[in-house]
Amino acid sequence: MKILVPVKRVVDYNVKIRVKPDGSGVELANVKMSMNPFDEIAVEEALRLKEAGKAEEVVVVSIGPAKAEETLRTALAMGADRAILIEAEGAVEPLAVAKLLKSVADEEKPELVILGKQAIDDDANQTGQMLGALLGWGQATFASKVELGDGKAEVTREIDGGLQTISVKLPAIVTTDLRLNEPRYASLPNIMKAKKKPLDKKSAADFGVDVSPRLEVLKTEEPEGRKAGVKVADVAELVDKLKNEAGVL
Amino acid sequence: MSKTANTALLARFIAIVGERNVLTDPADIAPHLEETRGLFHGDSPLVLKPGSAEEVSAIMKLATETGTVIVPQGGNTGHVGGQIPHDGAIVLSMARMNRIRDVDPAGGTITVESGVILQRLQEAANEAGLMFPLSLASEGTCQIGGNLSTNAGGTAVLAYGNTRQLCLGLEVVLPTGEIWNGLRRLKKDNTGYDLRDLFIGAEGTLGVITAAVMKLSPRPKSIQTVLAGVVDPDAALKLFRLAENTCGPALTGFEIMPRISLEFVLRHIEGARDPFDDAHPWYVLFEISSGQSEEAARGLMESLFEAANENGLIRDAVASETEAQRQSLWLLRESISASQKPEGGSIKHDVSVPVAKVPEFLEKADKAVRERIPGIRVVSFGHLGDGNIHYNLSQPVGADKAQYIARWREMNEIVHGIVLEMGGSISAEHGIGQLKRDELAAIRQPIEIELMRRIKMAFDPAGIMNLDKVVKV
Repeated sequence: MKILVPVKRVVDYNVKIRVKPDGSGVELANVKMSMNPFDEIAVEEALRLKEAGKAEEVVVVSIGPAKAEETLRTALAMGADRAILIEAEGAVEPLAVAKLLKSVADEEKPELVILGKQAIDDDANQTGQMLGALLGWGQATFASKVELGDGKAEVTREIDGGLQTISVKLPAIVTTDLRLNEPRYASLPNIMKAKKKPLDKKSAADFGVDVSPRLEVLKTEEPEGRKAGVKVADVAELVDKLKNEAGVL
Repeated sequence: MSKTANTALLARFIAIVGERNVLTDPADIAPHLEETRGLFHGDSPLVLKPGSAEEVSAIMKLATETGTVIVPQGGNTGHVGGQIPHDGAIVLSMARMNRIRDVDPAGGTITVESGVILQRLQEAANEAGLMFPLSLASEGTCQIGGNLSTNAGGTAVLAYGNTRQLCLGLEVVLPTGEIWNGLRRLKKDNTGYDLRDLFIGAEGTLGVITAAVMKLSPRPKSIQTVLAGVVDPDAALKLFRLAENTCGPALTGFEIMPRISLEFVLRHIEGARDPFDDAHPWYVLFEISSGQSEEAARGLMESLFEAANENGLIRDAVASETEAQRQSLWLLRESISASQKPEGGSIKHDVSVPVAKVPEFLEKADKAVRERIPGIRVVSFGHLGDGNIHYNLSQPVGADKAQYIARWREMNEIVHGIVLEMGGSISAEHGIGQLKRDELAAIRQPIEIELMRRIKMAFDPAGIMNLDKVVKV
């Protein structure tokens, strides 16, 4: 079985985001970029399935700027077998990404595509679902457990108020939730080996997909800062404030 | 001051800062009397929390006039009891003096009051697009005044120096109440005796640091963090030399830790996990920073790895790809101290030897302490790049904690004896305080101790400033 794992290069989760002074977007200059954390989980899951003998090949694909090659090298260093970079500058919206991924899936014919449930930059949570629709495959989103059976996958999903286990016929789409696994570190020997693993470079035009945005971002703003709290002298004052100032009692 | 506190005198001190800014209830005072290792139990009727250098000045004037001993205290994270009061001395908590007075990105300086918590200082530097490199395990609690007073070290000394190297100017209230405004921002200033450097590392025995000008550094564009498994300290030292040769000033940290420390951390610290499938006898955690780019830092890391591999110095290694992974790797190092507590009694040393002698020191000391107490667990970790080892000794499994801790001095003698033979120091970065005062007097030349006493007398003629810490007068 072949597993396809799309990965996205995003601002590192631990970086404090700053809005550009002109409000045109988020400051990206000199900011640490990393693999989207949910995609890391997706790579890890694919590698575990391979190590368990359930899959033969893990192919990672990224759509983004030339530097997304670093993100792919990280996935290769974790253990993926080969990588495809589809170069596209600027913001590429989920539908365009899904269309490109469909073309890749048509060529590669994976039996499973594992994606992060969302990317932490735009939090769109759309690509996996759109890809499922375009391919006409079943989808198991927000997975916290994935088990492969004969021609199907049993996936435990995180849903409001609990867990749901569903069975999907392969080929299928799985999107990862946080508790699925804890991704491994890239070892230095593997980082060196990853340099020699195959990485195909293509462009969005090669697939005939129009990636120009359909949405226009009008303005980016920082959320308002939280107001400082106040100390109250006693319960009576607290109740008074809750009643008369906050109006919650 | 006698133990039966003089209420009228205390009232005069309280009047200076106001009743809102003092602690008089023994339950409120208690946290200021205990330190992390439980070695010293203080005694004080009053904690004062001044809000300005002027209030500190009034306090010191009154203290000198009435012969009242004052003990300045920052975040109370010190390891040698320098911040713990005895015999009814008054605690001067700097917690309220926590303002950042000025950030000067163009000049690369920040002016802060001494009660600013180290982590807040780091954050303020970050917000200005710069970096304050001082970094240690207690950074969320310790204050810059305490860092200055102990000349704190930490994990970035290799590249950026001790706290002393990061300070340009000080504002100090003298025991007499006089205020010295030395908040200069000069990199070069050869004008007479260096008063600033006298107060740094004086552990609050010469005056109260109330504000400081600290130096900020450019923030690296990229930091590569690597944890490597190595066979022994000798391999770690060879790897350090190779890293210095390969990376030059880009090598910004180089820590060593034994397998047992990782086991302690994995056992007791939430969120810690072993990055490797196999166990390794020793680990080194190092960082390569580049002011240029991620590619430059990675390039250095990869060249170093290839060279180390050729020489068979590394058993295995992982690199952090994300900031979260970087923090997870540092957690394994930073929580060693905390993880020793649930393992029972721990007898600590903070020693340094010439860098090249670290493996020899570890071999000799291990042999000596194991002969004295069979089953003793050596948790020797620290800043290999600085030749600074926290040579901590956890009790044998199942031993009686109190009986074991009672052998503190005995074990100190063994370890410090070896350190001194090798031309090392018995306090690399924690200071002298009460814990090592008498030992200091015994090992330093009489003229050195005498000079320290004379300096102490010149600054503090009434003998009220953190009395009997560092040197006895």
